[in-house]
Amino acid sequence: MAVGSDQLDALVEQGYEHGFVSDVDSDTFTPGLNEEVVRSISAIKAEPAFMREQRLAALRHWLTLKEPNWASVHHPKIDYQAISYYSAPKPKQGPQSLEEIDPEILATYQKLGIPLEEQKALAGVAVDAVFDSVSVATTFRGKLAEAGVIFCSISEALREHPDLVERYLGSVVPHTDNFFAALNSAVFSDGTFVYVPPGVRCPMELSTYFRINAANTGQFERTLIVADAGSYVSYLEGCTAPMRDENQLHAAVVELVALEDAQIKYSTVQNWYPGDAQGKGGIYNFVTKRGDCRGARSRISWTQVETGSAITWKYPSCILRGDESVGEFYSVAVTKGRQQADTGTKMIHLGRNSRSTIVSKGISAGHGQNAYRGLVRMAQRAEHARNHTQCDSLLIGDRCAAHTFPYIEVKNPTAKVEHEATTSKIGEDQLFYCRSRGLSEEDAVSMIVNGFCKEVFKELPMEFAVEAQKLLSITLEGAVG
Amino acid sequence: MNTVGEPLDRFRELARNPAAPPTGIHWLDQRRDEAAARLDRLSWPSRKDEGWRYTSLEPLRDPQFAPAAQPLSALLPEDIESLLLANGRVPDLVFANGRFAPALSNPRALPDGVWMGSLARALREKPEALKDHLARAGDPVDSLFAALNTALIEDGAALLVAEGTVIEAPIEVLYLSLEVEQPVIAQPRNLIVLQAGAQATLIERYASFGPSLYFNNLVTEVVLGQGAVLVHERLQEESRNAFHLAGLSARLDAHSRYHCVTAALGSAWSRTSLQLRFAGEGAESRLDGLYFAGDGKLVDHHLDVEHAVPGCSSEETFRGILDGRGVAVFDGRVLVAQDAQQTSAHLHNANLMLSRNAEVDTKPQLEIYADDVQCSHGTTVGQLEPEAMFYLRSRGISEPEARKMLCVGFAQEILERFSHAPLRERAERIIRQRLSRPSG
Repeated sequence: MAVGSDQLDALVEQGYEHGFVSDVDSDTFTPGLNEEVVRSISAIKAEPAFMREQRLAALRHWLTLKEPNWASVHHPKIDYQAISYYSAPKPKQGPQSLEEIDPEILATYQKLGIPLEEQKALAGVAVDAVFDSVSVATTFRGKLAEAGVIFCSISEALREHPDLVERYLGSVVPHTDNFFAALNSAVFSDGTFVYVPPGVRCPMELSTYFRINAANTGQFERTLIVADAGSYVSYLEGCTAPMRDENQLHAAVVELVALEDAQIKYSTVQNWYPGDAQGKGGIYNFVTKRGDCRGARSRISWTQVETGSAITWKYPSCILRGDESVGEFYSVAVTKGRQQADTGTKMIHLGRNSRSTIVSKGISAGHGQNAYRGLVRMAQRAEHARNHTQCDSLLIGDRCAAHTFPYIEVKNPTAKVEHEATTSKIGEDQLFYCRSRGLSEEDAVSMIVNGFCKEVFKELPMEFAVEAQKLLSITLEGAVG
Repeated sequence: MNTVGEPLDRFRELARNPAAPPTGIHWLDQRRDEAAARLDRLSWPSRKDEGWRYTSLEPLRDPQFAPAAQPLSALLPEDIESLLLANGRVPDLVFANGRFAPALSNPRALPDGVWMGSLARALREKPEALKDHLARAGDPVDSLFAALNTALIEDGAALLVAEGTVIEAPIEVLYLSLEVEQPVIAQPRNLIVLQAGAQATLIERYASFGPSLYFNNLVTEVVLGQGAVLVHERLQEESRNAFHLAGLSARLDAHSRYHCVTAALGSAWSRTSLQLRFAGEGAESRLDGLYFAGDGKLVDHHLDVEHAVPGCSSEETFRGILDGRGVAVFDGRVLVAQDAQQTSAHLHNANLMLSRNAEVDTKPQLEIYADDVQCSHGTTVGQLEPEAMFYLRSRGISEPEARKMLCVGFAQEILERFSHAPLRERAERIIRQRLSRPSG
């Protein structure tokens, strides 16, 4: 084997860079879930009545559901009554400026390398920082407001733009969609709302830094992005979490709506705590992400780099409803230690001449389990729809696993679907070539793996591409000792 | 009233109250009883079962299939002339509704060390030779129907080849099914055992006359010893109303080679499950398949290839053509177990849709637990290339003829893997006939 076992050990033992706990007083509910909890969440947030009713309907539906077991992941049973469904940083008063924000929180972001205070000096990234469950700081509001872009927390949007929220929330991922979506719809704490008006090109990349804090608090973000006709928005989502011993549940829902000629680019770098070498601790990341290309010629692109979490269960999907709409999915998923990832996408082609591209790169090391699960469906009226799927898996070490489960359903003869998948380890010849030119084994592996992921990285916005490559090389540092 | 259970109840009754009494062979009766008990435990598959996600069992609900009664002694050799291959040779073994029909068969002379005949006779004459192989624990996939078959094991083809024996000529078996007064269920059980170093070619054909309604629920077990080589060529040309459910399981010992070419061109509803297990290092397999789903027909293929040991290679290539409201399902799974290093596995499925209303559901899966492997899979679904059509049309070829040429060209990649020329010709002729029918 090219990558020695001592190197593997180093990979497995590689510590988690972002493992620290910041000490903030949290306003946390006692564990448990019932109608009262849901009503309380809604009341704390001073939500309109329709939202409360939707939450209750979701809860009632959730109570009838069983946890799904089809994904190729294994974990101890989750006790949903042992989770606290709300945790907010201690409310002082609505923060008016950065000075009013808990210095602990600011320190946390600084440790994570988000230069919140220097935002304005930095090139065009507005950060809506979610600390646990409540948005505590939003910047660049003015500049966005000028363009007419609404970028705020969901709670705020519910108060200030209830019509928009009511119109779109749950229209892509209804609460009946699946077990975790139902749970999220009942108890979602906070999240991000973006609305880009017709014809507007959002003047900057939007970004939210999520961070899970406070032990035993599942975090249930809800993100809703609406790009009105002819608009464009690029949204960046990045995640880290402090080191914990108990598994933390994370069940987010992300909904994207692209109207005619609109374009949404959604990028994620996910680096939550993956658990220790024995797989203890770590985040359970059960996410429902879906985009609806509602209008003709609309376009939704998902790019994700998944390196963290103990378990990732995530299928960012596109419903290509509009004629000539385009869906894209670019993914790099790395599992090491005892991490498990069951991830992929769904491309539902309904519109004529709709096109989709799927590029999925899975890297498994140590005892990592990596599965691609994808669906491409060509409905009967999807004339001349096209899909190309490429799934590649790279294996590092003889105890890891890589699986591919593509589902392809075609009901239109003019549709064209191509699916390719390969699985192999790093080629001895490639390694030998690099080594013979004086590269260290570590550099050689890093170069080969970066080359393997290049197709995906090039889809990331500049800000994220740097972070993604850094993240990958940190992971690989361990992998090759 | 539990309507869902109805067909299953009928099958259970069939298994419990067999027309065939106990065989008197202790181990076999035990295995049959176990299978009947398994049938009692299993439930009727629904679309929620992953293996039946795309395959509806609804059409199987209504017909009341009765077990095939006595051998069809009324059939005369000239009756099956239309079913012979172009070389005019009468098959070595002919089965009518699952039972051996000696009057129709023409077993060729075989070298010493080869035992060929009906399973019923093998059970009478040399049960001990079958004990290690027939219905061993672990039924093939589709366990419900395999259990039904096992619970009623009675007859089928048996081919036992002793160590180092090489059979040059292909052995041909014809399974003829017919509706007699009422729809029948035929359940051939075939056992092919090649000892170390043995070599054989086996041709299996499934055919009928006219629009007979019947259910052919068959199981074939293949056991290859060290270094054995089996070429297995199958052509399913059942009647257009028939149900055909084939379970095939093969166990490959070290350095053995198995090449299976299978063409599913007939029946209203068919499902073929191929289960392959590598049990010794250095073995090789190749599975090639061709299917045609005409208007209103369903053709389903399930592959389950398990690389349990290192150093084996497998290659699976399946191609299908769909017309009218035809539905094709392909579910290919390749599993590479932990430590099965130096595995090579390549799975490919291509589909050609000729009509607006056809449907393809394909699911090629790789499950890999070792790292030193070379595995890939690929799938395509598309229609005829307009450029190719234009090219042929511009040379004065009529549209139907051009379409036929391109489809046969598409099928050719699989057809040419048939080593037995008369079989290949027949398969090609059937495809041409199918393509000539007006599509829905």
